[in-house]
Amino acid sequence: MISTLLFEGIDEAGLNTIDVYRRRGGYTQLAAALKMPQDELITELTGSGLRGRGGAGFPMGKKASFIPKGDMQKYVVCNADESEPGTFKDRELIQKNPHQLIEGVIIASYAIGATISYIYIRGEYDQQADILDAAIEEARQGGMLGENILGSGFNLQLELARGAGAYICGEETGLLDSLEGKRGNPRLKPPFPANQGLFQGPTLINNVETLSAVPSIVKLGAEGYAAIGVKDSAGTKLVSVSGNVERPGNYEVELGRSSREIIYDLAGGPTDGRAIKCWFPGGSSTPVLTADDLDVGYDYDSIEAAGSMLGSGAIIVVDETQSIVELAYKLAKFYSHESCGKCTPCREGTRWTFHMVERIKDGTATPMDLDIMAAVQEQIIGHCLCVLGDAMAMPIGSLIAKFRPEFEAEIEANRNERERKLAAEFAAAEVEIEGITA
Amino acid sequence: MPRPVEKLVSLTINGNTVQAPEGMMLADAALKYGDVEIPVFCYDAKIGPPVGACRMCLVEVEGIPKLQAGCSVAVTDGMVVNTESDQVKAAQEAVLEFILINHPLDCPVCDKGGECPLQDNAFGWGGGLSRFIEPKRHFEKPLALSPLIAIDRERCILCYRCVRYSQEVAEDFQLVLEERGADTFVTTFDGHPYVAPFSGNIIELCPVGALTSRPYRFRARPWDIEQAGSICTLCPAQCNVSFSVRDERVLRVLGRDHDGVDDGWLCDKGRFAYQAIHVDERVTEPMMRDGGELRPVTWELAIETAAKLLAHAGANTGAIVGGETTNEEGVLLTHLMREALGSNDLDSRPGGALEPELLRALNQPSLQAAVPDLQYAHAVLVLDCEPVDDAPILDLRLRKGVRHHDVKLVVASSRPSALDPRAAHSARFAPGCGEAFAAALAAELAGQPSASLAQAAGADPADVTAVAQTLKDAGDEVVILWGERLTGGPRRNEGARALLNLAAQLGIDGRDCAGLLEIPAGTNSRGLREVGVLPNASIGLGDAAVAGRDSREIAEALAEGDLTALILLHSDPLLDQPDGSLWRRALGKATTVVAHAAFLTPAVKEHANVIFPAESYAEKEGTVVHPDSRVQRLRRSIARQGETRAEWALLAELSARIGNDPAALTCSMVSARIFDQVPFYNGLSLDLIGGAGIRWSERAEAASFPSAPAAPFQLDAPPAAASPNGLLRLGSFRSIWASPEVEASPALAFLHPRQRVEIAPGDAERLGIRHGENVTVASNGDSVTGLAEVRAGAPEGTVFLQNAIPGDSAAQLEGPLVEVRRS
Repeated sequence: MISTLLFEGIDEAGLNTIDVYRRRGGYTQLAAALKMPQDELITELTGSGLRGRGGAGFPMGKKASFIPKGDMQKYVVCNADESEPGTFKDRELIQKNPHQLIEGVIIASYAIGATISYIYIRGEYDQQADILDAAIEEARQGGMLGENILGSGFNLQLELARGAGAYICGEETGLLDSLEGKRGNPRLKPPFPANQGLFQGPTLINNVETLSAVPSIVKLGAEGYAAIGVKDSAGTKLVSVSGNVERPGNYEVELGRSSREIIYDLAGGPTDGRAIKCWFPGGSSTPVLTADDLDVGYDYDSIEAAGSMLGSGAIIVVDETQSIVELAYKLAKFYSHESCGKCTPCREGTRWTFHMVERIKDGTATPMDLDIMAAVQEQIIGHCLCVLGDAMAMPIGSLIAKFRPEFEAEIEANRNERERKLAAEFAAAEVEIEGITA
Repeated sequence: MPRPVEKLVSLTINGNTVQAPEGMMLADAALKYGDVEIPVFCYDAKIGPPVGACRMCLVEVEGIPKLQAGCSVAVTDGMVVNTESDQVKAAQEAVLEFILINHPLDCPVCDKGGECPLQDNAFGWGGGLSRFIEPKRHFEKPLALSPLIAIDRERCILCYRCVRYSQEVAEDFQLVLEERGADTFVTTFDGHPYVAPFSGNIIELCPVGALTSRPYRFRARPWDIEQAGSICTLCPAQCNVSFSVRDERVLRVLGRDHDGVDDGWLCDKGRFAYQAIHVDERVTEPMMRDGGELRPVTWELAIETAAKLLAHAGANTGAIVGGETTNEEGVLLTHLMREALGSNDLDSRPGGALEPELLRALNQPSLQAAVPDLQYAHAVLVLDCEPVDDAPILDLRLRKGVRHHDVKLVVASSRPSALDPRAAHSARFAPGCGEAFAAALAAELAGQPSASLAQAAGADPADVTAVAQTLKDAGDEVVILWGERLTGGPRRNEGARALLNLAAQLGIDGRDCAGLLEIPAGTNSRGLREVGVLPNASIGLGDAAVAGRDSREIAEALAEGDLTALILLHSDPLLDQPDGSLWRRALGKATTVVAHAAFLTPAVKEHANVIFPAESYAEKEGTVVHPDSRVQRLRRSIARQGETRAEWALLAELSARIGNDPAALTCSMVSARIFDQVPFYNGLSLDLIGGAGIRWSERAEAASFPSAPAAPFQLDAPPAAASPNGLLRLGSFRSIWASPEVEASPALAFLHPRQRVEIAPGDAERLGIRHGENVTVASNGDSVTGLAEVRAGAPEGTVFLQNAIPGDSAAQLEGPLVEVRRS
């Protein structure tokens, strides 16, 4: 059984250079792929069962097969705008093994017939971008990019584009607008990027982890790759575990492994044997699960059956010492700050929610606000142009549903606290009101 | 690209079966064919494809689990739509609650109140309650987005309409959104005011009171005003407008969407120059010159004097007719001239008379392109005109064609065009050499040598080849949008022949979605020609019994003393005619000048003996003809201001006093007479024309249009463009803002142009001229001064000056070469 594909030898010194990468067998899959007919390659990708690792989990081969045939300019765009709170797997992949990603991009470009491809990296990943730039240059020098790659007659120009720090540019169409030099706002779909993407051309857009997995598929073959993992969740997944655990970090697991094993055996569980209050299975935008759900298998379908989503594969563990209101506050603050403002429910709903949680904190909320807050999440979900609105509404909605008593208790406590404070101020001011001296 | 063919599909909306054209957006189809309103904010089909931003239009489509945005779902056969389910209701209430949380709800003091889509939608689809108790967002307000537009960012619901308009319709790229999320606000890219030829459209697009017209602000509420539909006659584009009238004053002009004319947009001149109707500078009572001073007089005295003076001059009277004259006024003036005074010296063309058979050839109904053809043709050749100045709204139509229908745009002009960035190819030729360029292009298309003709035009032969290739590659449907100046000047007849040869070479006669579309010098130039306001043509474009003098010959005859009296009907020769110095001499010599004018423009102020106040376009009734042959109707929208009287009646009265009564009792009687006498107008009536107008060239009666010789014509070699030889060629243009109405409108006055001397960087360097310096342009002892405008892209060897501005107008200089120096 294979335990590591993406992280194979990940900590070897110098893996980010082409020499070490090639010594470890790098770019041989590219040579093999370039000998395959393009249709066959897409069939392989489809057969592997690889699902997009960026969040939505759409089968990668299927997406590639949507790209129209023909002579038009096509593009592969790699989404390296890893912005979801709790997610840091792509950073490690880029930093330590950039050539694996580049090889994946070249194979995918060849498969769909793209001759210009982009990697769009978030602005904060400055160091990783420099590493990637250097790796791209090495690949170009080594004949992996440019004209007539490895003598196959296939040409590809690969460019790195850096973002300027907006969560919305991780949304695929927002990313495309940003890449075109526009304000990064999501576009209306359809048309989907496969038909009309970058500069109106057919575009295959995938996450770093998805594209990094492509060389492994070529190596193992569709069947070999599909054999890893469980039904409808093939392959391995990088899981970024963070929050209240002993050993936060990225772990590569075979899909279908028990969540408890990931949190406790790999990441060491919460400090001092504290209990888990809740955990996000796929980044901060997924509905929270509780300690009762720890035995759920870590794969797309099982997590969905439990009422959440695998998302970007980032587990955030929240232990019993944490305040749920504080958690909701941070979520609402983040998403209202990152809302692009294009569509109404997200723009207004995230800000409104933030204000309501803020009022819970400062003691001016009432239990009625909790109902309004829950209703506002319902008003956002499914009504937005892209999924950013849902990304706040789903976790906040699940927090209210699952931890309502805690919210209510905190509302009451903060109200009392505020009244005490006001009374104290009143006393300190020594004011006399109609003959009553405080 | 051919016009899309409509295919009907059948869908169910709220249980009713509805037929709608395939591909139409659901929100449009439901309203138009199903009588079901789906509320929208961000969507308006005329801005372009939907963006689905406001989420107001969420509806249920069977088979799709999530609610769909009705603005962006195209109807398909068998689609089942529900716009009234509980789920839809809840979603619409939710979106409205969200939209209203940051809206100030200051309806009682908001200009939009009463005609506000947000009010309407909130009333129709809102929950009626808000649970939002947090502070709303605050901005400084109101701010001046421009001298014409006020922006209130608190009222803004961020629907993106204005920004999309600026980016995708007007393509001025000035409006942008700054910041993110709920902090987003609309502003200009560089922080400068939003000044553009079409900026005012965003006021009408705004679905709330965030963008308001500064000239209209706080002047009226919707229940104080009435809407009166008419035509804007400030330029040949003849946009359909609706006047907002309060107490017999025009307070605002709105578009009256007409796909065949304006596509629902207006330029800022059309939108704001209504102010000139109600200014003190306007002439609203008859005036006479008394001891060198103009003084108000009674109507009786003015009419009696004018009739006496004209009767005295008799056949020695000339008349210059301006473009804002209606067909009815034109016909009554011809009666006054030809029947009452016995003179044939009348002209409505500033460039000189064209041979009648060429006029007929150019106006053949089978050769006329319609305005929407600009958007659907394979290619459009813009020849010797600048749409944004000459007929502004067509500029937007051309951009739409390029953006949405892949029209290949080719610009061939002397001066760099605003359309150059959108053009597949742009070619330049020397000023006044449109004829040679057209001949070169026709030769190239015919596979004949074109290089020498191109050189005669002062153009790059490679440009001619490239233009011909672009037109050939684009497809069969080619529209030539050409400016009247191509058929003006000393070689006007040759220019017309070259153009007709070019059209013949492209084979566009009789072809759908192709043809010629002229941008004439005056608003109603086409109508005036068709009713015979020409020295050499009769009503219906027949040959005149006796040919008279054309505009230049009238000026010469006046200067020589052969003519003694001059009628100026809505025209100021010092602004509208070339040959400024000739006209100054002519006007100085004329013993009688009778002017119908709204403003005391230079010639009127200095030379008129009798001035009759001209009606404004909002006061007028009558008909005009759009350059694409659409007969349109002006309707009186307000009472005539001051002592102003109906001009048709005045012209009839003058004829009667001189002794030849045209028996015109009402204006509509004159209209009926025109429809009767012009063979190709036969059967038209004011009712038939209605609010939308009617293209006569599309009616069966067009068959009675007089025949004309067919192209190709034998052309003689055009003279070569003057070689600068140390001097510069003189080119001229008329800015969209160069009009007395703009100057008189308080809100627009800031746009009224001053003379600028446009010069190429290379020439500027050679002459030691820096941008913004005072420069003198001189020829033959005349000179004009202006500020130097060093313009990248301006052709070397040519200097461009503006026409039609009082004082230092380009018409004062005689070309083709001028000297340019620092003042």
